[in-house]
Amino acid sequence: MKSTFFRFFPAVLMALLLSQVAYAVDVVVISNSGTTISAADVKDVFLGEKQFAGGTKLIPVDNAASQANFLSKYMNMAGDKYNSMWTKKSFRDGLTPPAVKSGDAEVVDFVKRTPGAVGYVSSTPGGVNIVK
Amino acid sequence: MVTAEKVNMNHSWQRGLPALLSASIAGILLTLPTLAQAEGDGVPLHGFADVGYTAHSKESTDPKGFNVGSLDFYLTPQFDSNVKGLIEIIFETTKGGEVATDLERMQIGYTFSDNATLWAGRFHTPYGYWNTGFHHGAQIQTAVLRPRFLDFEDKGGILPAHMVGFLGSGKVRAGIGKFTYDVFAGNGPKISMGQDPVNPAAAATPVPQSLGTLNINTAGDNNHQAMAGLNLGYEFSGRADGLRLSIHALRGDVDDDSDGTLFGTTLLNKTEVSMAGGSVVYQGNEWEVLGEYYRFNNKDKSGTSGSHSSWADYLQLGRTFKGRMTPFLRVEKTVLSQLDNYFSMQDNGQSYFRQVLGFKYDVNPKASLKFELMSSKFAAETGRTAYKYRSLLAQYAIRF
Repeated sequence: MKSTFFRFFPAVLMALLLSQVAYAVDVVVISNSGTTISAADVKDVFLGEKQFAGGTKLIPVDNAASQANFLSKYMNMAGDKYNSMWTKKSFRDGLTPPAVKSGDAEVVDFVKRTPGAVGYVSSTPGGVNIVK
Repeated sequence: MVTAEKVNMNHSWQRGLPALLSASIAGILLTLPTLAQAEGDGVPLHGFADVGYTAHSKESTDPKGFNVGSLDFYLTPQFDSNVKGLIEIIFETTKGGEVATDLERMQIGYTFSDNATLWAGRFHTPYGYWNTGFHHGAQIQTAVLRPRFLDFEDKGGILPAHMVGFLGSGKVRAGIGKFTYDVFAGNGPKISMGQDPVNPAAAATPVPQSLGTLNINTAGDNNHQAMAGLNLGYEFSGRADGLRLSIHALRGDVDDDSDGTLFGTTLLNKTEVSMAGGSVVYQGNEWEVLGEYYRFNNKDKSGTSGSHSSWADYLQLGRTFKGRMTPFLRVEKTVLSQLDNYFSMQDNGQSYFRQVLGFKYDVNPKASLKFELMSSKFAAETGRTAYKYRSLLAQYAIRF
Protein backbone atom coordinates (compact mmCIF):
# COMPACT_ATOMS: atom_id res chain seq x y z
CA MET A 1 0.00 0.00 0.00
CA LYS A 2 2.75 2.38 1.02
CA SER A 3 4.85 1.60 -2.07
CA THR A 4 1.81 2.17 -4.33
CA PHE A 5 1.24 5.59 -2.74
CA PHE A 6 4.84 6.65 -3.35
CA ARG A 7 4.72 5.34 -6.93
CA PHE A 8 1.67 7.48 -7.82
CA PHE A 9 2.45 10.52 -5.68
CA PRO A 10 4.99 12.09 -8.09
CA ALA A 11 2.63 11.57 -11.03
CA VAL A 12 -0.27 13.22 -9.17
CA LEU A 13 1.98 16.07 -8.09
CA MET A 14 3.21 16.56 -11.66
CA ALA A 15 -0.35 16.60 -12.98
CA LEU A 16 -1.33 19.24 -10.44
CA LEU A 17 1.68 21.37 -11.30
CA LEU A 18 1.01 21.09 -15.02
CA SER A 19 -2.62 22.09 -14.56
CA GLN A 20 -1.41 25.19 -12.66
CA VAL A 21 1.01 25.99 -15.50
CA ALA A 22 -1.78 25.60 -18.05
CA TYR A 23 -3.99 27.92 -16.03
CA ALA A 24 -1.14 30.43 -15.72
CA VAL A 25 -0.61 30.71 -19.50
CA ASP A 26 -4.30 31.10 -20.34
CA VAL A 27 -5.19 33.78 -22.86
CA VAL A 28 -7.21 36.90 -22.11
CA VAL A 29 -8.34 39.01 -25.06
CA ILE A 30 -8.37 42.73 -24.33
CA SER A 31 -9.40 45.86 -26.20
CA ASN A 32 -8.95 49.59 -25.73
CA SER A 33 -11.31 51.01 -23.09
CA GLY A 34 -13.25 52.86 -25.80
CA THR A 35 -13.63 49.79 -28.04
CA THR A 36 -16.17 47.03 -27.52
CA ILE A 37 -16.12 43.71 -29.38
CA SER A 38 -17.52 40.30 -28.48
CA ALA A 39 -15.69 37.01 -28.15
CA ALA A 40 -17.47 35.86 -31.32
CA ASP A 41 -15.73 38.70 -33.21
CA VAL A 42 -12.20 37.82 -32.13
CA LYS A 43 -11.48 35.37 -34.97
CA ASP A 44 -12.72 37.80 -37.64
CA VAL A 45 -10.72 40.66 -36.11
CA PHE A 46 -7.48 38.66 -36.28
CA LEU A 47 -8.33 37.43 -39.80
CA GLY A 48 -8.74 41.03 -40.97
CA GLU A 49 -12.40 40.44 -41.83
CA LYS A 50 -13.84 42.64 -39.11
CA GLN A 51 -12.10 45.98 -39.46
CA PHE A 52 -14.51 48.33 -37.68
CA ALA A 53 -16.34 48.46 -34.34
CA GLY A 54 -18.90 51.23 -34.56
CA GLY A 55 -16.97 53.94 -36.35
CA THR A 56 -13.60 52.94 -34.94
CA LYS A 57 -10.96 51.19 -37.02
CA LEU A 58 -9.80 48.03 -35.23
CA ILE A 59 -6.06 47.48 -34.82
CA PRO A 60 -5.25 43.91 -33.76
CA VAL A 61 -1.79 43.20 -32.33
CA ASP A 62 -0.16 39.82 -31.80
CA ASN A 63 1.73 38.84 -28.66
CA ALA A 64 4.77 36.67 -29.43
CA ALA A 65 4.81 35.19 -25.91
CA SER A 66 1.17 34.01 -26.03
CA GLN A 67 0.56 33.57 -29.75
CA ALA A 68 0.55 29.76 -29.83
CA ASN A 69 -2.06 29.56 -27.07
CA PHE A 70 -4.17 32.27 -28.66
CA LEU A 71 -4.11 30.68 -32.11
CA SER A 72 -5.05 27.32 -30.66
CA LYS A 73 -7.89 28.65 -28.50
CA TYR A 74 -9.46 31.30 -30.73
CA MET A 75 -8.29 30.67 -34.29
CA ASN A 76 -8.00 26.87 -34.38
CA MET A 77 -4.81 27.04 -36.41
CA ALA A 78 -1.05 26.76 -36.02
CA GLY A 79 1.38 29.65 -36.38
CA ASP A 80 2.59 28.64 -39.85
CA LYS A 81 -0.94 28.55 -41.23
CA TYR A 82 -1.81 31.86 -39.58
CA ASN A 83 1.24 33.55 -41.14
CA SER A 84 0.58 31.95 -44.52
CA MET A 85 -3.04 33.05 -44.37
CA TRP A 86 -1.97 36.64 -43.68
CA THR A 87 0.53 36.57 -46.55
CA LYS A 88 -2.27 35.60 -48.94
CA LYS A 89 -4.68 38.11 -47.48
CA SER A 90 -2.17 40.93 -47.54
CA PHE A 91 -1.17 40.12 -51.12
CA ARG A 92 -4.73 39.80 -52.40
CA ASP A 93 -6.63 42.42 -50.41
CA GLY A 94 -3.93 44.90 -49.38
CA LEU A 95 -4.47 44.34 -45.67
CA THR A 96 -1.63 44.83 -43.22
CA PRO A 97 -0.96 41.90 -40.83
CA PRO A 98 -1.14 42.60 -37.08
CA ALA A 99 2.05 44.01 -35.58
CA VAL A 100 3.79 41.56 -33.26
CA LYS A 101 4.57 42.74 -29.72
CA SER A 102 7.12 40.90 -27.60
CA GLY A 103 5.01 40.23 -24.50
CA ASP A 104 2.18 41.23 -22.17
CA ALA A 105 3.65 44.55 -21.05
CA GLU A 106 4.05 45.84 -24.62
CA VAL A 107 0.58 44.65 -25.61
CA VAL A 108 -1.15 46.19 -22.60
CA ASP A 109 0.70 49.48 -23.11
CA PHE A 110 -0.28 49.59 -26.81
CA VAL A 111 -3.91 48.66 -26.22
CA LYS A 112 -4.31 51.22 -23.44
CA ARG A 113 -3.09 54.16 -25.54
CA THR A 114 -4.47 53.17 -29.00
CA PRO A 115 -8.18 53.60 -29.81
CA GLY A 116 -9.43 50.48 -31.63
CA ALA A 117 -6.55 48.29 -30.44
CA VAL A 118 -7.26 44.62 -29.69
CA GLY A 119 -4.69 42.25 -28.22
CA TYR A 120 -4.26 39.25 -25.97
CA VAL A 121 -2.25 38.64 -22.81
CA SER A 122 -1.64 35.84 -20.33
CA SER A 123 -3.29 37.46 -17.30
CA THR A 124 -6.04 40.00 -16.69
CA PRO A 125 -4.73 43.59 -16.67
CA GLY A 126 -6.49 46.76 -15.54
CA GLY A 127 -7.41 49.82 -17.60
CA VAL A 128 -8.64 47.90 -20.66
CA ASN A 129 -11.81 46.10 -21.74
CA ILE A 130 -11.83 42.35 -21.23
CA VAL A 131 -13.43 40.62 -24.21
CA LYS A 132 -15.94 37.99 -23.05
CA MET B 1 3.37 41.38 -67.56
CA VAL B 2 5.81 42.81 -70.14
CA THR B 3 4.26 44.55 -73.11
CA ALA B 4 5.65 44.18 -76.59
CA GLU B 5 6.24 47.92 -76.77
CA LYS B 6 8.63 47.79 -73.87
CA VAL B 7 10.72 45.07 -75.39
CA ASN B 8 10.88 46.73 -78.79
CA MET B 9 12.13 50.15 -77.73
CA ASN B 10 14.61 51.45 -80.29
CA HIS B 11 15.93 54.84 -79.23
CA SER B 12 19.06 54.93 -77.12
CA TRP B 13 17.51 57.06 -74.38
CA GLN B 14 14.66 54.60 -74.24
CA ARG B 15 17.06 51.69 -73.95
CA GLY B 16 18.57 53.25 -70.84
CA LEU B 17 15.23 54.18 -69.34
CA PRO B 18 14.20 50.77 -67.96
CA ALA B 19 17.51 50.40 -66.09
CA LEU B 20 17.23 53.93 -64.67
CA LEU B 21 13.60 53.37 -63.75
CA SER B 22 14.38 50.00 -62.15
CA ALA B 23 17.20 51.45 -60.07
CA SER B 24 15.05 54.39 -58.98
CA ILE B 25 12.09 52.23 -58.02
CA ALA B 26 14.29 49.75 -56.15
CA GLY B 27 15.92 52.62 -54.28
CA ILE B 28 12.57 54.10 -53.29
CA LEU B 29 11.16 50.73 -52.25
CA LEU B 30 14.16 49.86 -50.14
CA THR B 31 14.22 53.30 -48.50
CA LEU B 32 10.49 53.59 -47.74
CA PRO B 33 10.29 51.17 -44.80
CA THR B 34 13.35 52.75 -43.16
CA LEU B 35 11.91 56.25 -43.47
CA ALA B 36 8.55 55.10 -42.24
CA GLN B 37 9.99 53.31 -39.24
CA ALA B 38 12.04 56.36 -38.37
CA GLU B 39 8.77 58.26 -38.11
CA GLY B 40 7.23 55.51 -36.02
CA ASP B 41 4.70 54.58 -38.69
CA GLY B 42 5.93 51.46 -40.46
CA VAL B 43 4.95 50.61 -44.01
CA PRO B 44 5.92 46.95 -44.34
CA LEU B 45 7.65 45.88 -47.55
CA HIS B 46 6.63 42.41 -48.67
CA GLY B 47 7.66 40.40 -51.66
CA PHE B 48 8.38 37.21 -53.54
CA ALA B 49 11.35 35.94 -55.51
CA ASP B 50 12.16 32.75 -57.37
CA VAL B 51 14.90 31.11 -59.38
CA GLY B 52 14.67 27.92 -61.36
CA TYR B 53 15.81 25.40 -63.91
CA THR B 54 13.93 24.18 -66.99
CA ALA B 55 14.60 21.39 -69.45
CA HIS B 56 12.39 20.63 -72.45
CA SER B 57 12.33 17.84 -74.97
CA LYS B 58 13.74 18.88 -78.36
CA GLU B 59 10.32 19.76 -79.83
CA SER B 60 10.09 22.90 -77.70
CA THR B 61 11.79 26.16 -78.65
CA ASP B 62 11.26 27.70 -75.21
CA PRO B 63 14.40 28.71 -73.25
CA LYS B 64 16.14 25.95 -71.31
CA GLY B 65 18.59 25.91 -68.42
CA PHE B 66 18.83 28.02 -65.30
CA ASN B 67 16.67 31.10 -65.01
CA VAL B 68 15.82 33.98 -62.75
CA GLY B 69 12.05 34.08 -62.40
CA SER B 70 10.81 37.28 -60.87
CA LEU B 71 11.43 39.65 -57.98
CA ASP B 72 8.19 41.13 -56.72
CA PHE B 73 7.79 43.90 -54.12
CA TYR B 74 4.50 45.07 -52.72
CA LEU B 75 3.47 47.67 -50.16
CA THR B 76 0.17 48.01 -48.31
CA PRO B 77 0.16 51.57 -46.91
CA GLN B 78 -2.78 52.60 -44.72
CA PHE B 79 -3.35 56.35 -44.91
CA ASP B 80 -6.14 56.58 -42.33
CA SER B 81 -8.97 54.38 -41.07
CA ASN B 82 -10.57 54.16 -44.51
CA VAL B 83 -8.01 55.09 -47.17
CA LYS B 84 -5.41 52.53 -48.19
CA GLY B 85 -3.16 51.60 -51.08
CA LEU B 86 -1.74 48.50 -52.72
CA ILE B 87 1.40 49.05 -54.77
CA GLU B 88 3.28 46.23 -56.47
CA ILE B 89 6.39 46.43 -58.63
CA ILE B 90 7.90 43.48 -60.41
CA PHE B 91 11.26 42.83 -62.04
CA GLU B 92 11.31 39.83 -64.35
CA THR B 93 13.32 38.42 -67.20
CA THR B 94 11.86 38.17 -70.69
CA LYS B 95 12.41 35.26 -73.05
CA GLY B 96 15.08 37.38 -74.71
CA GLY B 97 16.98 37.73 -71.43
CA GLU B 98 16.24 41.41 -70.74
CA VAL B 99 15.16 42.50 -67.27
CA ALA B 100 11.80 44.23 -67.49
CA THR B 101 10.10 46.35 -64.86
CA ASP B 102 6.36 46.55 -64.53
CA LEU B 103 4.00 48.50 -62.34
CA GLU B 104 2.04 45.37 -61.55
CA ARG B 105 -0.59 46.95 -59.30
CA MET B 106 -1.25 50.53 -58.36
CA GLN B 107 -4.60 50.78 -56.63
CA ILE B 108 -5.98 53.20 -54.12
CA GLY B 109 -8.93 52.11 -52.04
CA TYR B 110 -11.56 53.39 -49.66
CA THR B 111 -13.04 50.98 -47.11
CA PHE B 112 -16.63 51.95 -46.33
CA SER B 113 -17.28 49.15 -43.84
CA ASP B 114 -16.42 45.52 -43.14
CA ASN B 115 -18.56 44.68 -46.18
CA ALA B 116 -17.33 47.04 -48.88
CA THR B 117 -14.08 48.43 -50.27
CA LEU B 118 -13.87 50.42 -53.50
CA TRP B 119 -10.56 50.45 -55.39
CA ALA B 120 -9.42 52.49 -58.38
CA GLY B 121 -6.30 51.96 -60.46
CA ARG B 122 -4.60 48.93 -61.91
CA PHE B 123 -5.50 45.63 -60.23
CA HIS B 124 -5.48 41.87 -60.77
CA THR B 125 -8.66 40.96 -62.63
CA PRO B 126 -10.76 38.96 -60.15
CA TYR B 127 -11.95 35.95 -62.15
CA GLY B 128 -11.67 32.43 -60.72
CA TYR B 129 -9.24 32.04 -57.85
CA TRP B 130 -5.68 31.68 -59.15
CA ASN B 131 -5.32 35.11 -60.72
CA THR B 132 -5.95 37.03 -57.52
CA GLY B 133 -5.02 34.35 -54.98
CA PHE B 134 -1.48 33.64 -56.23
CA HIS B 135 -0.59 35.81 -59.22
CA HIS B 136 3.19 36.52 -58.95
CA GLY B 137 3.39 34.84 -55.53
CA ALA B 138 5.24 31.72 -56.64
CA GLN B 139 6.05 30.66 -53.09
CA ILE B 140 2.41 30.52 -52.01
CA GLN B 141 1.24 28.42 -54.96
CA THR B 142 1.89 24.69 -54.96
CA ALA B 143 2.93 24.43 -58.62
CA VAL B 144 5.85 26.04 -60.44
CA LEU B 145 3.68 27.44 -63.22
CA ARG B 146 0.18 28.83 -63.42
CA PRO B 147 -2.24 26.96 -65.67
CA ARG B 148 -1.11 28.13 -69.13
CA PHE B 149 -4.39 29.68 -70.21
CA LEU B 150 -4.44 31.72 -66.97
CA ASP B 151 -0.85 32.86 -67.34
CA PHE B 152 0.14 36.50 -67.81
CA GLU B 153 -0.82 38.14 -71.07
CA ASP B 154 2.66 37.77 -72.59
CA LYS B 155 3.29 34.25 -71.26
CA GLY B 156 0.40 32.19 -72.54
CA GLY B 157 -2.69 33.75 -71.04
CA ILE B 158 -5.86 34.24 -73.03
CA LEU B 159 -7.59 36.54 -70.54
CA PRO B 160 -6.63 39.99 -69.27
CA ALA B 161 -4.86 39.16 -66.00
CA HIS B 162 -4.77 42.88 -65.13
CA MET B 163 -7.24 45.69 -65.55
CA VAL B 164 -7.22 49.46 -65.16
CA GLY B 165 -10.48 50.79 -63.79
CA PHE B 166 -12.41 50.32 -60.56
CA LEU B 167 -13.07 47.34 -58.35
CA GLY B 168 -15.63 46.91 -55.58
CA SER B 169 -15.13 43.99 -53.24
CA GLY B 170 -16.23 42.70 -49.87
CA LYS B 171 -17.65 39.94 -47.74
CA VAL B 172 -20.98 39.62 -45.97
CA ARG B 173 -21.69 37.02 -43.31
CA ALA B 174 -24.47 34.70 -44.49
CA GLY B 175 -25.52 31.46 -42.80
CA ILE B 176 -22.57 29.31 -41.82
CA GLY B 177 -20.12 31.22 -43.98
CA LYS B 178 -19.56 34.39 -45.91
CA PHE B 179 -20.83 35.64 -49.24
CA THR B 180 -18.00 37.29 -51.20
CA TYR B 181 -18.17 39.59 -54.18
CA ASP B 182 -15.90 41.40 -56.63
CA VAL B 183 -17.45 43.71 -59.21
CA PHE B 184 -15.23 45.52 -61.67
CA ALA B 185 -15.10 47.60 -64.85
CA GLY B 186 -12.22 49.13 -66.71
CA ASN B 187 -10.43 49.67 -69.99
CA GLY B 188 -11.17 46.83 -72.36
CA PRO B 189 -7.93 45.22 -73.62
CA LYS B 190 -6.79 45.13 -77.24
CA ILE B 191 -4.74 42.57 -79.10
CA SER B 192 -1.38 44.10 -80.05
CA MET B 193 0.01 42.25 -83.03
CA GLY B 194 3.68 41.31 -82.95
CA GLN B 195 6.45 41.80 -85.50
CA ASP B 196 7.61 38.88 -87.59
CA PRO B 197 10.54 37.63 -85.52
CA VAL B 198 12.21 35.78 -88.42
CA ASN B 199 14.03 38.69 -90.00
CA PRO B 200 12.28 41.98 -89.38
CA ALA B 201 15.17 44.13 -90.56
CA ALA B 202 15.26 42.57 -94.01
CA ALA B 203 11.55 42.27 -94.45
CA ALA B 204 9.56 44.28 -96.97
CA THR B 205 7.75 47.42 -95.88
CA PRO B 206 5.61 47.19 -93.88
CA VAL B 207 7.23 44.63 -91.62
CA PRO B 208 4.95 41.57 -91.57
CA GLN B 209 3.00 41.10 -88.39
CA SER B 210 2.93 37.98 -86.26
CA LEU B 211 0.23 36.81 -83.88
CA GLY B 212 -0.44 39.20 -81.02
CA THR B 213 -0.86 39.29 -77.26
CA LEU B 214 -3.38 41.01 -75.07
CA ASN B 215 -2.53 44.58 -74.15
CA ILE B 216 -4.53 45.85 -71.19
CA ASN B 217 -4.47 49.51 -72.26
CA THR B 218 -2.97 50.93 -69.08
CA ALA B 219 -2.73 54.44 -70.57
CA GLY B 220 -6.33 54.54 -71.82
CA ASP B 221 -8.91 52.57 -73.74
CA ASN B 222 -8.34 52.42 -77.51
CA ASN B 223 -11.95 51.73 -78.42
CA HIS B 224 -13.72 53.47 -75.52
CA GLN B 225 -15.52 50.24 -74.70
CA ALA B 226 -15.26 49.14 -71.10
CA MET B 227 -14.81 45.56 -70.02
CA ALA B 228 -16.84 44.60 -66.96
CA GLY B 229 -17.25 41.53 -64.83
CA LEU B 230 -18.00 39.99 -61.48
CA ASN B 231 -16.98 37.16 -59.21
CA LEU B 232 -19.52 35.98 -56.63
CA GLY B 233 -18.55 33.36 -54.09
CA TYR B 234 -19.38 31.65 -50.85
CA GLU B 235 -16.76 30.77 -48.23
CA PHE B 236 -17.79 27.99 -45.88
CA SER B 237 -16.73 27.79 -42.25
CA GLY B 238 -17.04 25.21 -39.49
CA ARG B 239 -16.68 21.64 -40.73
CA ALA B 240 -16.29 22.80 -44.33
CA ASP B 241 -13.74 25.51 -43.45
CA GLY B 242 -11.43 26.10 -46.43
CA LEU B 243 -14.08 25.44 -49.09
CA ARG B 244 -14.97 28.24 -51.49
CA LEU B 245 -17.40 28.06 -54.42
CA SER B 246 -17.76 30.88 -56.89
CA ILE B 247 -19.09 31.96 -60.26
CA HIS B 248 -17.51 34.56 -62.52
CA ALA B 249 -18.31 36.45 -65.70
CA LEU B 250 -16.60 38.96 -67.98
CA ARG B 251 -17.80 40.94 -70.98
CA GLY B 252 -16.37 43.59 -73.31
CA ASP B 253 -15.31 44.42 -76.85
CA VAL B 254 -11.74 43.61 -77.88
CA ASP B 255 -10.13 45.04 -81.04
CA ASP B 256 -6.84 44.08 -82.64
CA ASP B 257 -4.41 46.24 -84.61
CA SER B 258 -3.80 43.86 -87.50
CA ASP B 259 -2.65 45.63 -90.68
CA GLY B 260 -3.30 42.92 -93.24
CA THR B 261 0.27 41.65 -93.51
CA LEU B 262 -0.51 38.49 -91.55
CA PHE B 263 -3.76 37.08 -92.94
CA GLY B 264 -4.23 39.41 -95.91
CA THR B 265 -7.22 41.33 -94.63
CA THR B 266 -6.96 44.99 -93.74
CA LEU B 267 -10.11 44.84 -91.67
CA LEU B 268 -9.47 45.44 -87.98
CA ASN B 269 -11.21 42.77 -85.98
CA LYS B 270 -13.65 43.61 -83.21
CA THR B 271 -14.93 40.80 -80.98
CA GLU B 272 -17.48 40.95 -78.22
CA VAL B 273 -15.94 38.68 -75.60
CA SER B 274 -18.43 37.01 -73.23
CA MET B 275 -17.03 34.65 -70.63
CA ALA B 276 -18.80 32.88 -67.77
CA GLY B 277 -17.76 30.06 -65.49
CA GLY B 278 -17.05 28.98 -61.97
CA SER B 279 -14.44 27.73 -59.56
CA VAL B 280 -14.13 25.27 -56.68
CA VAL B 281 -11.36 25.73 -54.15
CA TYR B 282 -10.64 23.68 -51.05
CA GLN B 283 -7.56 24.51 -49.00
CA GLY B 284 -7.52 22.44 -45.82
CA ASN B 285 -4.67 21.45 -43.54
CA GLU B 286 -3.83 18.46 -45.75
CA TRP B 287 -5.77 18.58 -49.00
CA GLU B 288 -5.76 21.20 -51.70
CA VAL B 289 -8.28 21.11 -54.54
CA LEU B 290 -8.34 23.85 -57.16
CA GLY B 291 -10.63 23.82 -60.18
CA GLU B 292 -11.72 26.57 -62.57
CA TYR B 293 -13.91 26.53 -65.67
CA TYR B 294 -14.29 29.23 -68.33
CA ARG B 295 -16.88 29.17 -71.12
CA PHE B 296 -16.66 31.69 -73.98
CA ASN B 297 -19.40 32.71 -76.35
CA ASN B 298 -17.70 35.40 -78.41
CA LYS B 299 -19.40 37.38 -81.18
CA ASP B 300 -17.68 38.70 -84.31
CA LYS B 301 -18.73 42.38 -84.50
CA SER B 302 -16.50 43.39 -87.41
CA GLY B 303 -17.33 40.52 -89.77
CA THR B 304 -20.12 38.11 -90.44
CA SER B 305 -18.78 34.91 -88.91
CA GLY B 306 -21.27 35.03 -86.03
CA SER B 307 -20.75 33.68 -82.54
CA HIS B 308 -18.25 31.02 -81.50
CA SER B 309 -18.03 28.84 -78.40
CA SER B 310 -14.82 27.87 -76.66
CA TRP B 311 -13.86 26.66 -73.21
CA ALA B 312 -10.92 26.21 -70.86
CA ASP B 313 -10.50 24.50 -67.53
CA TYR B 314 -8.04 22.95 -65.09
CA LEU B 315 -8.17 20.76 -62.00
CA GLN B 316 -5.35 20.46 -59.49
CA LEU B 317 -5.19 18.06 -56.54
CA GLY B 318 -2.54 18.02 -53.85
CA ARG B 319 -2.00 16.52 -50.41
CA THR B 320 0.42 17.72 -47.76
CA PHE B 321 2.30 15.17 -45.65
CA LYS B 322 4.04 16.04 -42.38
CA GLY B 323 3.19 19.69 -42.93
CA ARG B 324 5.80 20.31 -45.63
CA MET B 325 5.75 17.70 -48.43
CA THR B 326 3.05 18.13 -51.07
CA PRO B 327 2.82 15.91 -54.13
CA PHE B 328 0.25 17.15 -56.62
CA LEU B 329 -1.12 16.64 -60.10
CA ARG B 330 -2.92 18.92 -62.50
CA VAL B 331 -4.68 18.57 -65.82
CA GLU B 332 -5.62 21.55 -67.94
CA LYS B 333 -7.35 21.74 -71.28
CA THR B 334 -8.58 24.38 -73.69
CA VAL B 335 -10.76 24.03 -76.79
CA LEU B 336 -10.52 27.42 -78.50
CA SER B 337 -12.37 28.11 -81.77
CA GLN B 338 -10.02 29.36 -84.48
CA LEU B 339 -13.02 30.92 -86.24
CA ASP B 340 -13.10 33.31 -83.30
CA ASN B 341 -10.81 36.30 -84.02
CA TYR B 342 -10.20 36.76 -80.30
CA PHE B 343 -8.32 33.45 -80.20
CA SER B 344 -7.06 33.14 -83.79
CA MET B 345 -5.23 36.51 -83.57
CA GLN B 346 -3.61 35.67 -80.22
CA ASP B 347 -0.27 33.90 -80.13
CA ASN B 348 -1.59 32.04 -77.07
CA GLY B 349 -4.90 31.12 -78.69
CA GLN B 350 -4.08 27.55 -79.72
CA SER B 351 -6.01 24.71 -78.06
CA TYR B 352 -3.91 22.44 -75.85
CA PHE B 353 -3.91 19.70 -73.26
CA ARG B 354 -1.39 19.62 -70.43
CA GLN B 355 -0.64 17.22 -67.59
CA VAL B 356 1.53 18.12 -64.63
CA LEU B 357 2.92 15.89 -61.89
CA GLY B 358 4.85 17.71 -59.21
CA PHE B 359 6.23 17.87 -55.71
CA LYS B 360 6.60 20.83 -53.37
CA TYR B 361 8.85 20.74 -50.33
CA ASP B 362 8.62 23.58 -47.82
CA VAL B 363 12.13 24.11 -46.50
CA ASN B 364 10.48 26.44 -44.02
CA PRO B 365 7.21 28.41 -44.14
CA LYS B 366 8.84 31.08 -46.30
CA ALA B 367 10.97 29.00 -48.68
CA SER B 368 9.88 26.20 -51.01
CA LEU B 369 11.53 23.82 -53.44
CA LYS B 370 9.38 22.51 -56.28
CA PHE B 371 9.87 19.93 -59.01
CA GLU B 372 7.52 19.22 -61.91
CA LEU B 373 7.19 16.90 -64.87
CA MET B 374 4.96 18.40 -67.53
CA SER B 375 3.54 17.06 -70.77
CA SER B 376 2.02 19.54 -73.24
CA LYS B 377 0.17 18.76 -76.45
CA PHE B 378 -1.04 21.48 -78.82
CA ALA B 379 -3.80 20.75 -81.34
CA ALA B 380 -3.68 20.96 -85.14
CA GLU B 381 -6.05 23.78 -86.02
CA THR B 382 -6.59 26.23 -88.85
CA GLY B 383 -3.41 28.31 -89.08
CA ARG B 384 -1.73 26.31 -86.30
CA THR B 385 0.64 23.36 -86.31
CA ALA B 386 0.28 20.46 -83.89
CA TYR B 387 3.22 19.88 -81.57
CA LYS B 388 3.96 18.37 -78.21
CA TYR B 389 6.81 18.38 -75.75
CA ARG B 390 7.80 17.31 -72.27
CA SER B 391 9.40 19.47 -69.63
CA LEU B 392 11.21 19.16 -66.33
CA LEU B 393 11.00 22.19 -64.08
CA ALA B 394 12.59 23.05 -60.76
CA GLN B 395 12.01 26.18 -58.73
CA TYR B 396 13.30 27.64 -55.47
CA ALA B 397 10.86 30.28 -54.27
CA ILE B 398 10.81 32.55 -51.23
CA ARG B 399 8.55 35.14 -49.69
CA PHE B 400 9.46 37.92 -47.30
